[in-house]
Amino acid sequence: MELFLYKYAWLIPVLPLVAATLVGLGLISLNKLTNQLRKLNAVLIITFLGVAMGFSFALLWSQIHGHEAFTQSFEWAAAGSFHLSMGFIIDPLTSLMLAIVTTIAFLVMIYTDGYMEHDPGYVRFYAYLSLFSASMLGLVISPNLVQVYIFWELVGMCSYLLIGFWYDRPLAADACQKAFVVNRVGDFGLLLGMLGLYWATGSFEFDIMGDRLQEMVSSGALAGGLAALFAILVFLGPVAKSAQFPLHVWLPDAMEGPTPISALIHAATMVAAGVFLIARMYPVFEPIPSAMSVIAWTGAFTAFLGASIAITQNDIKKGLAYSTISQLGYMVMAMGTGAYAAGLFHLMTHAYFKAMLFLCSGSVIHGMEGVVGHDPDLAQDMRLMGGLRKYMPITAITFLVGTLAICGIPPFAGFWSKDEILGLAFEVNPALWVVGWATAGITAFYMFRMYFMTFEGQFRGTDESIIAQLKNAVSPQNEENLEPAFGPGAMDPEELEHDDHGHHHSSEPHESPLTMTLPLVLLAIPSFMIGWIGKPWENMFEEFIHAPTEAAEVVAEAGEFDWTEFLIMAGASVGIALIGITVASLMYRQGKINPSKIAQQFRPLYNFSLNKWYFDELYHKVFVMNSRRLAREMLEIDYKVVDGAVNLTGLVTVITGQGLKYLESGRVQFYALIVFAAVLGFVVVSSVT
Amino acid sequence: MDMANFPWLTAIILFPIAASLLIPIIPDKDGKTVRWYALIVGLLDFALIIYAFYTGYDLSSGELQLVEQYTWIPDIDLKWSVGVDGLSMPLVILTGFITTLAIMAAWPVTLKPKLFYFLMLAMYGGQIAVFAVQDMLLFFLVWELELVPVYLILSIWGGKKRLYAATKFILYTAGGSLFILVAALTMAFYGDTATFDMSAIAAKDFPLKLQLLLYGGFLIAYGVKLPIFPLHTWLPDAHGEATAPAHMLLAGILLKMGGYALIRMNVGMLPEAHVKFAPVLIILGVVNIIYAALTSFAQRNLKRKIAYSSISHMGFVLIGIASFTSLGMSGAVLQMISHGLIGASLFFMVGATYDRTHTLMLDEMGGVGQKMKKIFAMWTTCSLASLALPGMSGFVAELMVFVGIATSDAYNTTFKVLVVLLAAVGVILTPIYLLSMLREIFYGTENKELVEHEALIDAEPREVFIIASLLIPIIGIGLYPKLATQIYDTTTTQLTAYVREFVPTVAKESAPQGEPVALKAPEL
Repeated sequence: MELFLYKYAWLIPVLPLVAATLVGLGLISLNKLTNQLRKLNAVLIITFLGVAMGFSFALLWSQIHGHEAFTQSFEWAAAGSFHLSMGFIIDPLTSLMLAIVTTIAFLVMIYTDGYMEHDPGYVRFYAYLSLFSASMLGLVISPNLVQVYIFWELVGMCSYLLIGFWYDRPLAADACQKAFVVNRVGDFGLLLGMLGLYWATGSFEFDIMGDRLQEMVSSGALAGGLAALFAILVFLGPVAKSAQFPLHVWLPDAMEGPTPISALIHAATMVAAGVFLIARMYPVFEPIPSAMSVIAWTGAFTAFLGASIAITQNDIKKGLAYSTISQLGYMVMAMGTGAYAAGLFHLMTHAYFKAMLFLCSGSVIHGMEGVVGHDPDLAQDMRLMGGLRKYMPITAITFLVGTLAICGIPPFAGFWSKDEILGLAFEVNPALWVVGWATAGITAFYMFRMYFMTFEGQFRGTDESIIAQLKNAVSPQNEENLEPAFGPGAMDPEELEHDDHGHHHSSEPHESPLTMTLPLVLLAIPSFMIGWIGKPWENMFEEFIHAPTEAAEVVAEAGEFDWTEFLIMAGASVGIALIGITVASLMYRQGKINPSKIAQQFRPLYNFSLNKWYFDELYHKVFVMNSRRLAREMLEIDYKVVDGAVNLTGLVTVITGQGLKYLESGRVQFYALIVFAAVLGFVVVSSVT
Repeated sequence: MDMANFPWLTAIILFPIAASLLIPIIPDKDGKTVRWYALIVGLLDFALIIYAFYTGYDLSSGELQLVEQYTWIPDIDLKWSVGVDGLSMPLVILTGFITTLAIMAAWPVTLKPKLFYFLMLAMYGGQIAVFAVQDMLLFFLVWELELVPVYLILSIWGGKKRLYAATKFILYTAGGSLFILVAALTMAFYGDTATFDMSAIAAKDFPLKLQLLLYGGFLIAYGVKLPIFPLHTWLPDAHGEATAPAHMLLAGILLKMGGYALIRMNVGMLPEAHVKFAPVLIILGVVNIIYAALTSFAQRNLKRKIAYSSISHMGFVLIGIASFTSLGMSGAVLQMISHGLIGASLFFMVGATYDRTHTLMLDEMGGVGQKMKKIFAMWTTCSLASLALPGMSGFVAELMVFVGIATSDAYNTTFKVLVVLLAAVGVILTPIYLLSMLREIFYGTENKELVEHEALIDAEPREVFIIASLLIPIIGIGLYPKLATQIYDTTTTQLTAYVREFVPTVAKESAPQGEPVALKAPEL
């Protein structure tokens, strides 16, 4: 029976793929019919994923009970002496990831039924969700780096399709392209690192790469710096995928996608794939201290960066997005400090509570739309919310559970994982701990700011003056697009028209339907309790998941648990969290401190945070504008110089002196081209010999 | 009839040409009979190709197979000599496949249908002949002959500037052909025996200086066709003015002739010169990739944008050819096949879009995805294939070229690092121009002017069928590359082993770094 499970484990990603293909073919060939059978399609897709989930849990169970890791592969590509195989591996890490991904995907799919109920793209959305699940599951069972890269790009593609799901919205169109391109920048590094490692070690398998690389470095066959360079290039992949500084800019924009995918892809699973890859690459990374510290500091800085921006965001989804960036920073930092199990532990707890927080925000938006209409600029703005606890009690309670979890209040899940990371970071480098600890305080502040603004106090959704103010703030370029987008939980266009011409919107938000609240409640359970499996004095999680290199040590270490140390560390992080909560409460609940006054006082700092450290502006100026200009100049060169020269008209212009204008008018790019050619020529000469 | 001795290749080449001669006498007033006729001929010939290779081609051998040789004009030693090996066989299949689909794509052509399908069928045979002939003189002849139908198709059915584009095309290519002729004659008459037979010429031992000259000549001729920077500028013009079926043939097959001939002649016949020239090829490849990607990004005309994208993708072929590894060579061939499919699909989509919007300027489009959902979906899939998304053939080909050049032992590390780094920049640039193109066509709010004036009808079944036919092999190869690589692998491995003998830096004994044994898969 068990062998059967393992032999057919490849079904786990294949099942959702089959479901997606079936529905996709239906959409292409029998569009009308497929779209009419909405529920049937949804049920089909959810069922297939449900089977995959059952499968995953069976495997997890078997792995927990000590079944040895299982690998199977087949030859995929070959040329001469080169052979590359693909296949799957089932080990503790994989089985854990399988369970996380399938449960969250399953719950998100149920939620989707309520959230996308009236959207014309309901079926297409399910097909994409299923395709994403397949890619993500394929990623976590990959036994080698090439296969990871393949699925890595595929999840990126699904992310692209889903962010741009409402493709009639200009903002979504920009966001999906940005996400793909920024991720390609990371993949560029990953590809180079992969090629470098293969060149050095002749393998794409994680263990073999690690072993051989270490051998080569210690025997002097490969410079240590080069090994570190390869490791850091590979790390660029996770930097983009897990939205780490400096490639984090795509994630907040990705919130243009429907909320269920923000929960599934951009909070719980895909963005955590970066952390997963670092875990898989541990045999390569761990023996290279310089690479490890780059990873740790990138994570720490990102954690702070994300939190510092989250405190001023008014869009509920953007706030959560920056919070995700910050939490991913914790995980990456943990990986960089060698806290392998702690990082993955936080990945798991975060997956559950952050998915729930996002789904809660979706529920809030859904409720708000009944009041302010289908304008994401209004429905997602927390300045219009407030007092929602009265109207949507289930959403409020589950959001509070998630907030407590992310703030690290015991005994909620986030406490155990975050505390473990901070404790281990302290041992490696107290400076890292300070960053992480301070960030924990900011986290508590902005999360409770979010909670109070949304659920406590008076409902402000009907306040016309705020609405007018927000509408004015919408930049003029969007002005023309103010016709209602068929946005989150959009309704039928007719329904909307009816809505506009008939009576006004309702004056009170309403609780979401059962298909939406049920997943919230189900996710609240792990958000509350799952941390207990990683209690430092009885760490079942670490017994199950440990770094490939430290198999034996962990068990020995588990015995000697130091209560005093634990209490000091835990006390420090709970303490700062409580301070954060108190400040948030004073500002946004009791109103004893006026937040706008503080904003006035620290205007530059406030603007700096509100404008996301001006990263978008900077990147736009430096990369986007310059690449556009370079491309334009290249095209001009192509027309006038290259084409002209071959057409001989170029010759004429050169003779008549027209061509000289090109050389004299300071066209830097043209000179650059000449220099480029010269360099290349030099390389030829040097390499032939 | 004795099946083994049946002249399969001759039949495959001559059947569509003979069939095309019958077109003038087919009674047909509105052009509807003749298109069915052409399609059936295309399908039959494709079936013939598949059957011939299925029964008569041995995959485990890298030698020429299905060889036929008849003396044609004894006075000038011209022989009708055909045969296929792993290099030409997949390209013959590709030609049959793409040309048949192009006939189907030409369904809406109403202007002079008889002449059009006559030319299509003539091209069908001519293109296959280019890949199959094994005689230098004959090769030159069919290379030239195949230009005529392309020229006519460009100049009669093109856009406004079609005459300029067609003339430019013919001047460039014919100019390049002169070099083929001179080089071929030199090679044929060099030494004691005068022969046009390709394998006999390949066996001749040319002095290095002559080899370099010959190589240079061929490089110019095939560089025009592939195309290689700076000889590429005819391509955007030709594409900018051509109709969809012509596009599919240009991008799908004609460009591959350059790559094919480069491997067959420059690499196979002039290996010593190839060793000297290889770094140049690699640099030209890198320039192709980056330069064309940038120009494509700046281009506002859809057809020209995709044309530049073709140039960019051909850069990988050059790098693969010059990598001196069987992996790189295999990747180069796969890139040709893959781009044949992907390029054809993209250009077909361009045509399908133009039929609806009647404009190619991106500024005049916008938001058309709301009305044309299927077109949107197909465009997206083809673009993703083109930007080398894993799971599709382009990714595998590019990955093989990358790994091939990275592990090549013919170059020093600095050079390789530079090349890999710059070529990988293409990995970033490709999605930038393709995705921003998609965004400008389909995303955002509808362009009111366009929507009011044009009936934006969604894709019809014929169009879905054509794209599906192209996507099936694209995805099939992407999921399991051995589907494609195993049909030519023996030949490319042999060829690489042969060329490697001439590389001085390759120490014969030393095994490549890192034992590839570890990568071997346990049997299922």
